[in-house]
Amino acid sequence: MNKQLSIKKWKIFKLPPVIYMLLCLVIIFSIATPQYLSFQNIKNILMQSSTLMILAFGQTLVVLTQGTDLSIGAQVSMVTVAWITLARKGVPLPVGAIIVLLLTSCVGIINGLLVAKGKMPPFIATFGMQNVINSFTLLLTAGAAVTYSSNIFLIITESSLFGIKAPVFIAAGIFAVTWVILNRTKFGMGIFGLGGNPEALALAGVNTVKVTVKAYAYAGLLAGVAGLLTACRVESGQPTAGAGLEFESIAATLLGGTSMREGRGNVTNTIFGVLLLSVVRNGLNVVGITAVYQSAIIGIIMLSAIIIDSLARQSQERN
Amino acid sequence: MKTGETILSVKGITKLFPGVVALDHVDFDLRVGEVHILVGENGAGKSTLSKCILGAYVPEQGTITLNGTKKSFKSPRDALKEGITAVYQEFTLIPYLSVAQNIFLNREYRKKNGLLDINRMEKESRELLKLINCEHLNVSSHAKDLTIAEQQMVEIAKALSFHPQIIIFDEPTATLSEREVGSLFEQIRKLRASGIGIIYISHKIQEFTQIGDRISVFRDGRKIATFGIHEKSTEEIVNMMVGRNISQVYQRNPNLYSGESLRVEGLCDYKEKVKHADLVVNKGEIVGLAGLVGAGRTELANLIFGIDRRKAGKVYLYGEEVLGKITPGKMVRRHIGFVCEDRKSKGLALKDSVAWNITAVSLRQLFPHGLIRYKKIKNVAESYRERLKIAVPTVQRPCKFLSGGNQQKVVLAKWLSAHVDILILDEPTRGIDMGAKMEIYELMNQLSLEGKSILLISSELPELIGMSDRIYVVHEGRIVHECKRGSAEFNAEDIGAMMLNVYQDAEGKAEWDE
Repeated sequence: MNKQLSIKKWKIFKLPPVIYMLLCLVIIFSIATPQYLSFQNIKNILMQSSTLMILAFGQTLVVLTQGTDLSIGAQVSMVTVAWITLARKGVPLPVGAIIVLLLTSCVGIINGLLVAKGKMPPFIATFGMQNVINSFTLLLTAGAAVTYSSNIFLIITESSLFGIKAPVFIAAGIFAVTWVILNRTKFGMGIFGLGGNPEALALAGVNTVKVTVKAYAYAGLLAGVAGLLTACRVESGQPTAGAGLEFESIAATLLGGTSMREGRGNVTNTIFGVLLLSVVRNGLNVVGITAVYQSAIIGIIMLSAIIIDSLARQSQERN
Repeated sequence: MKTGETILSVKGITKLFPGVVALDHVDFDLRVGEVHILVGENGAGKSTLSKCILGAYVPEQGTITLNGTKKSFKSPRDALKEGITAVYQEFTLIPYLSVAQNIFLNREYRKKNGLLDINRMEKESRELLKLINCEHLNVSSHAKDLTIAEQQMVEIAKALSFHPQIIIFDEPTATLSEREVGSLFEQIRKLRASGIGIIYISHKIQEFTQIGDRISVFRDGRKIATFGIHEKSTEEIVNMMVGRNISQVYQRNPNLYSGESLRVEGLCDYKEKVKHADLVVNKGEIVGLAGLVGAGRTELANLIFGIDRRKAGKVYLYGEEVLGKITPGKMVRRHIGFVCEDRKSKGLALKDSVAWNITAVSLRQLFPHGLIRYKKIKNVAESYRERLKIAVPTVQRPCKFLSGGNQQKVVLAKWLSAHVDILILDEPTRGIDMGAKMEIYELMNQLSLEGKSILLISSELPELIGMSDRIYVVHEGRIVHECKRGSAEFNAEDIGAMMLNVYQDAEGKAEWDE
């Protein structure tokens, strides 16, 4: 009995530090501004984080395989532009959506092949892809935003259940799917294997190229979904809509305690990583800190979260 | 099949690698219900043979006959289908998958909807673990949360899940503690009793009589002999392995010592691998550290050299305490050298030239003003190439093209060029041929004649006993015995017992209690 208690206690300490940081920040912000913890603001935070959430789920899979995908931000931009351009050319929105999702999945497959078959460092392969995609996006639009109007955009972004809007539900659904993939499929076992002991995985006869390609393809597919949601929100195609999201998704993944080397981590903690980023940004706005200082503060919080995480792990190992 | 019948017979197997005959017409047979030990130095061919049997290598010549039918395995999968499997020294578990998932990796059970059938995998894993008395293991916990011994049990359970006829154990005890070795042997005996043929690859002479039925000795790609385990003495087996009499291999002439060079008091680390170690090394002395793999010898050396952080304890050099944080840089400046166990990843910059490696530590001494002259580097390297007889056409050649013995000589030259006074050698002769080995022993004698001290870590007892003036025996992080050359207990049998911590002195009582 006693022993069980102590194990339970230990499990609480094993929660990733990002959860404690999140709690601390929420407490600080709600003391600073009383309306911070209002239902409205919580809804705002969830809504604002839904796109990044979806991207980060895909990124988590890729990071678990000891990789990174730097192209997903560019994919988001490309999707907004491509979808709207197709619509302006007369392609119905649902058909266009399927086309762009196929497109980003293919981009993911190419990324995966470059990494697994071409033996390129993921950083280089996907950074190259990012630049190619950015060029393609600019070609489509000549650098300007493209617009299109349809009430479908509003239906997707504004319809709500219990006051919570559809994008949040979409993100939740994608979370569930990703969780099942990671924990209840052979593909998921392959992802943990690639991160933790790729030689052993290959020895067991698993096709590691296939696992890698699938992981990047999934990240691409989710980038497509995130791009569609972004396009709905801004009701246009913006060539820079996704700029920087690739790094934010990596940051959120790492904040959630997923490791770039040992195949450690899970998609649940990524949620908290994303929320941490969103809570900070939202909180700084609500409290009224100017954008000049916001970046620095966000940077410092991210660094300290990662440092705390690594210190916590070191002390765990020592014990 | 009945116990004693031949299950596997290998005839005239030859395996060539570029420039090496790894196996030279080897015959071998395995009987039902026996533990057949393969023994030999590194590169003798025992691992190559087991890989041919496992299908990992395809031999150039020869036949493999299983249960009377000829087989030719093209891949490990083919061998697995016939019930031949292996438990490796390096584990093949994936750290963040559960025990059950690891056991059924790539043979997962799935439900009708395509998702993993976790319940069924866990249930069958529990049954497999029960077979080897490990029902206490939690099949849903991550592999990385298990101890090394538990991981090994999972590996065995995984091997059993293939319903094997033959299991090959490749140095399974390398990372186990003594108690864990005991329970591993118990399981192996059980497997043997159930009619599985077991091939057991090992370096540890003291294990042979505990677990083996027959033994085959390998040397230079050839099988020297196969015989029953009790037919030959340990010494005869060792002589067969090295191909000459041990007394010719190890020549040690102790010197007159004049004062201590290295003293360690109460050294502890954070990982509890080293517990209150005290030791002294005198000038001109070769001091051995004996112990099982995992006993904490390397960790102790790492602490002394400042690679790992110490929790407590003091290190003295020539009577003077090393103050503050111990770092490798500090120790090098005080003329201490460390030849580490893993030559390829830690001892050498493999892609860089012999000359670069030889002068890597001594640049500051060679060029105190900071600017480097390549001609001088080359000259220094050349002088050590001659002195240590490093077989290389030019010192500009990258180290990766050198043989293991020559690479090790480069590592030694690196420290000699830095004029070290104390040299820590961690497994200095691992994986190198006999000729180079003897040259290294000669060099050690030479250094000690010059009054330099050597702390020698080795898993080869004959080497330790042959070269050391004194031996400290390390067991589970503690120094449990000290024996001097010439004393009654300075022999392989007694020191082997001390390493297992089962040594009893002349009065017959245990000298050390846990």
